Order: sequence, then structure tokens, then C-alpha cells
Amino acid sequence: MLSRVADNLYWFSRYVRRAENTARLVGVGSLLQLDLPRSVRFAWRPMVDTVGAGDAFAELFPSSGDDATDAEVVRFLLLDERNSSSLRSSVDAAREILRGIRDTLPQEVWEAINDLYLYIEANGERGVSRRYRLEFITRIADGCLKVSGLLTANVSRDIGFQFLRLGTAIEQADMTTRIIDAGASGLVTPRNEDDREAFQNMQWMAVLRSLAAYQMYRRHVRQRVTAEHALRFLLQNNEFPRSVQFCLARAQHVLPTMPARPGVDRGLNRVVGLIRNADPASLAAKNPAGFMDEIQVHLGTFNAALADGYFRG
Amino acid sequence: MDWAKYRTTTFDELIQADGQPRPAARRLVEYLGGLSGREIAERQLAADVIAKVMGITFTVYSDGRNVDRTLPFDLIPRVIPRTEWIRTEAGLKQRMRALNLFIGDIYGKQQIVKDKVFPAMLLKDSVNFRQQCVGIKPPLGVWAHICGSDLVRDGDGTLYALEDNLRIPSGVSYMLENRMVAKRVFPELFETSSILPVDEYPSQLYDTLAALSPRPGDTPVIALLTPGVFNSAYFEHAYLAQAMGIELVEGNDLFVADDDCTYMRTVYGAQRVDVIYRRVDDLFIDPEVFHPESVLGAPGLMRSWRAGKVALANAPGAGVADDKVVFAYVPKMIKYYLDEDPILPNVPSYLCHNAKERKYVLENIEKLVVKPANESGGYGMLIGPRSTKRERDKFKKLIEADPRNYMAQPTLSLSTAPIVTDEGPSPRHLDLRPFVLSREDIYVTTGGLTRVAMEKGSLVVNSSQGGGAKDTWVVDLDEEAD
Repeated sequence: MLSRVADNLYWFSRYVRRAENTARLVGVGSLLQLDLPRSVRFAWRPMVDTVGAGDAFAELFPSSGDDATDAEVVRFLLLDERNSSSLRSSVDAAREILRGIRDTLPQEVWEAINDLYLYIEANGERGVSRRYRLEFITRIADGCLKVSGLLTANVSRDIGFQFLRLGTAIEQADMTTRIIDAGASGLVTPRNEDDREAFQNMQWMAVLRSLAAYQMYRRHVRQRVTAEHALRFLLQNNEFPRSVQFCLARAQHVLPTMPARPGVDRGLNRVVGLIRNADPASLAAKNPAGFMDEIQVHLGTFNAALADGYFRG
Repeated sequence: MDWAKYRTTTFDELIQADGQPRPAARRLVEYLGGLSGREIAERQLAADVIAKVMGITFTVYSDGRNVDRTLPFDLIPRVIPRTEWIRTEAGLKQRMRALNLFIGDIYGKQQIVKDKVFPAMLLKDSVNFRQQCVGIKPPLGVWAHICGSDLVRDGDGTLYALEDNLRIPSGVSYMLENRMVAKRVFPELFETSSILPVDEYPSQLYDTLAALSPRPGDTPVIALLTPGVFNSAYFEHAYLAQAMGIELVEGNDLFVADDDCTYMRTVYGAQRVDVIYRRVDDLFIDPEVFHPESVLGAPGLMRSWRAGKVALANAPGAGVADDKVVFAYVPKMIKYYLDEDPILPNVPSYLCHNAKERKYVLENIEKLVVKPANESGGYGMLIGPRSTKRERDKFKKLIEADPRNYMAQPTLSLSTAPIVTDEGPSPRHLDLRPFVLSREDIYVTTGGLTRVAMEKGSLVVNSSQGGGAKDTWVVDLDEEAD
């Protein structure tokens, strides 16, 4: 397996997973907006920061984005090519990567990605409008899952597949911490201090929904949604496939199937330890953003070790 | 399909002057004659869909984006009788033997120059001569392992060699895929006619490459070096790599170590590469030796090749014989090296560095096709009878400024074959590109890639300029089932 091809497989699956999560994130923001009474202000800005596009956004909307309309922000998150984490940028990146490794993956994967790309080209602008937004987002999330399904069902379990699995796991772990971050940063600001808790719980429900986790949370936790429970579920649950813990465990399963690289193992174990030792109660009491940043930084370090270990050759 | 009105003013590959099909094409023409216009249209549509699904594309860069285009495919195959093909194949093998001897001689003793058969001056000004290759003796003495020779037929039926592409000829994947499409669209004909197969090519190419390995005995590690996805022939690179089961690599995947061996970067660490089928032009394969800014190759590759640690196909420098001026000397080379008469005639050529021939070219430019020595893809040439006075004046100046770089050929009355149009079968000009593989023995594809100008009257068949393709059938009449 060429290092370049492994690198591309890893990033291909990361971009596909990123596109799906970005679509979900915007979808939940849109839903939340509809649920909120007029007395509560909804802020898109934390979502922009969530996907790491704060700087690009600030450049486009210099006065801290307050004057940006709903449609402008959603267009920025979904379609803007100047935003390297927009849905379109992720799908384009996945497609461009795949172009160079088309011989490695089944033809249907190319068709599915191409279909997503063409769908965004044709319907993106329409998808920004409130009327069609959810339809658009659902179609995108479905399309991404179709790619995941094709990979799982039709790709031989060779070493290339392990890089695909690793990419999906790491991207989901990363996106989960980012979505928690957005939820915790306060998407809604109630004008009345007494409403704060009620709306915050609504916010955590939205976070769970955006990770397709609400139903599973209900089954596993059987308690009403609070910051502490939601954090525990999304960080440390062993069974829910989008929890950070689950994704890291999956990555831990993958590494032994690849040529041994101690630096890579060390990098992963460090993040695993952090998650295991996290205390959701105290994280919920203060702002968990700092902790989420720490996880993301360590995932970045792991990524660098991965590149050193396998992608430079 | 109604053949009654089909007429052409030149030699037609399928239909004789009297309107009757040529013997080798009789079954095909009768079969097509029995299909309604609607059935033909349905099959053409099916062929287009198959081509699209199989992903037979070439990449065009336009509006800042890459666009995959499908090569237009015409339903009606071009038919060549086996008896004629045997002779053509022998002619191609003869050319290749002479060309490889010539390249080896040029980078060796230059006996042909000393014997005044080939002018030293041409060598001095050749842009494809590589000083870095002087004195190198590649495995088996072969420099051009893969050659795509373009053949054209004139109005009187004579098949001529038009040029030999010795650098990085492309198109063979279309030949293979066109056959796949034709088999799906005309299964009946493949059952009853004796159409010789073409699908041996990838195995033959693999054997040709494997034979070059500097580590005989072991299973060689072979890679195809592509410039990457932005290259118009990327589809073919991926196709051939997959068909042969070899690695498809880009320049950055390779490096040359201090031991002069070439390695690929893999997730397991460095892996030695024995043979590289490079689809990157000479001048870009090694920034240490050629274009320093090139990222398409690998630094040190020439060092590795010269040390005999890696084999390159085609060998660097092989392009010295792929020059439209050098081309004119091929018949003399055949005589000089093989002491044989050429089996395949060259298209007559006038070389502008020769004062007498230049005078003829300048005086008769409106009758001639003028070509620069080193362009490919049909670029930079003048088709006299179709040109304006202004274009002709421009070329006269170009020729006078750099005579070595120009040659001219009479405008042939290129042969035609029918293509499917809304108005029924209609003649279009075409050529033929067989692919020739050289190792200890020489292999020639059965037929080759037929390129056809899709535009009425056009003589330009290049895919980059709106050309299409047909399947090419070499038919054995003796074997035909009745």
C-alpha cells in the first residue's frame, strides 16, 4: 500500500464523515431555531467556531457577524468555498481525493460521491432557504451514509480498509467534541435569567440530535437530558458509535492490524486516557470548551504521528 | 441501415468503389443492413452508456475545473483482412527493430552518422537528444519498449507509416475498451465471424516490463509513473496499472536512496522498485538532471537508471527517433541496419533543412501538410489545402527562421469508413495506431486504435481536437464460419 494512497484513503473517509456531521449540525441549528420562543436569541456563531471557520467568517462579516442573516450564515456553513470546512468544501475535497485513487475503491463509491457533488451543485442554493433546508440536509446525510455503507459492504478488509476505518473513527471523535463545544458555548441566550436552565437543556437535546444520539441516549440513560448526562453519554459511552470513547476504541482495534508504529499508539493512548479520566459532572459545572479543545489538540498530535508513521514512507 | 446511398470519394475501408462491401467486411455490412434505423440508434445509445459506465474518459481542464469527457465512440467497426494485417505487422516489427538499433547507435558509436547516412547536423539540433543517455546500454539493447505508430491509407489503398510515437504514446486503453463495448453491442457477429482478439495486450505489456527487471529471478516490483489526475491520459494510466496489477505511482511516491536504488514510499516503509513504466515526459522525470522545478518525477531517477538499478520504459532519450524529421530517415535506417527493403512505406516527406526540398515546400505550400518536428497531438501544423493565405505566410516565415524544425508531406487523400449519423452511414477520415512492444521478440497489437474524425471532411483525428474512435477488427476470412 503506497503511503500516498493510505493518506488519501484516510482523508477521504474523514471528509465524508465531516460532510455528514456538518450537515447534521446545520440541521439541528435550524430545528432549534424553530423551537425557540421570540424572547430567546439564537446564535449561529458558535457553530461557525465549532467547525473551525471563525477566522474565515470574521473576514467575510467583520462586525463579529451580528449583522449576518440566517441565510448568510447557513450559506457560509453549507456552500461557501472560502470556508474550508463547509459542506461543499468537504464533499469537493473527498471527490478530488477519490479522483486520484479511483482504482482503489469500488466504482459505486465514485458514483455516490459524484452524485452528492452534483446534488450540491444543482440544489445547494435552494437548500439554504428555510423551506427546503431540512430536505437538502437529509439528502446529504443519507448520501454520506450511503458511501459509508458501500465501503463497509463492498471493500476488502485489506490494509487500505483499515485506513478508511481509522479516518471515520478519528473524524467522528473530533466532530463529536466540536459539536459538544458548540452546544456548551450557548447557541441560545435567554433574555430572562430564570429560563436559563430550561433552554440549556433544550440545547443539549439539540446536541444529541445533531449526533443522531437522542434516541440511543434515551435508551441508555433513561433520565432527562442534562449537561452532565449528555456529556457522559457523548464522551464515555461504550456502545454508541458516535461517542468519543467508542470511536477511540475502534481506532485502538485498527492499529494492531497495521505495521507497528509506537508513536502512533502513544498518541492514541494519550487521548484515550484523557477521555477515560474526564469527569462529566465537573465539566458540566464549568464550561467544557477548554477540555474539548484539549482533546482536539491531542487528536491533532495523533494525526501528525500517523502522518509520520505511515504517510511519508 | 441503408447502404444504397453510401458513397465516398476516396478509398473506403468497408465499401468498394462499386458500392459492394469489401470481402472482410461483407458480414458486418450485411448485418448492419438488416438493422432498422431505430435498432442502430438503440445500439449506439447502448454503446455510449456502456462507455460512460465503464468510465472511458479523458480529462479536459476547462474553466478551472477538471471535466471528464467520454471519447466519442462510433458503432461501426473498421475491418482489416488478416492477410493484409500479417504484412503490416511484419512492417511494424521491421521498423521497430531498426528504430531501436538507431537509438542505441546514436547514444553509442554513432556509426550511422560516421557513415554519412544520417546527418550529424540533425542530431545536434534535436530537442529530443539527451546528452545524459550517451554511453548507456539499457537491458536487451531496447530503448523504445512501447511504440504507437500511426498508419494512414491513401486514396489508392496504400498503407503508409505517418509517424512513430516513441515517447509516451497513449490510446491503447481505448483500443481495449472499444472492443469490450463492441462485444456487448454485436455479440452475434463475434459468434459467427473470426474476429481476432486484442485483450492480450496487458499481459504482453506486463511481460515486456518484467523482462527489464535488474533483479532477474525475483518477481519484479513494477510501477506505472503517472503525472497525476490532471493529466489527460490519467484514465489510461489507472486502467493499465489495474489491468496489470502494478502500482500506480506519482513522482512523490518515489525516491532514490544513496545506494542508487529507487524506492516507493509505502505504509510498510520503503519498497524497492525494479521497473517503471513512466508516462511522464523525459524532461520531467528527474529534477536533478532536467527541469529543476518538475515535481512529476523523482530526484535521482536518472542516476538510478544509469546505474542499472531501475529500468525505465521507455528509456530516457528514446524520443530522439520520435521526431518528424528523423522519421523521414527510417527507410534508410532499415536499409542501413537490417539490409532489408522497408515493408511499410513512409509517407513521402520533404525536409526543410535541405535547400532543394525547402524550396519545393515554400513553392507548393498550399498542397502540403507542414509539421513542426516535435509537436504531437496535431498541434502546430498547417494543412495547406485548408489554409488561408495569412496562415501560409506565417508558416513560410516559420520555416525560413528554423528550417531544421519543419517538414512537409503531401496532403494524402486519407481513407474513410462509415460512421453512424442521423442521415444514415456517412464516410469519415481515419487513421490507425497499432502498439508495438519490444523485448527480445516484438509484439504488435492485433489491429490497434482506429481514430476517426467525427466532423465531415475533417482530416484531424486527435481526441484533443474532436476525434473519436472505432473498434478495429482484424478478420480471418479463412476461418469464417458459414
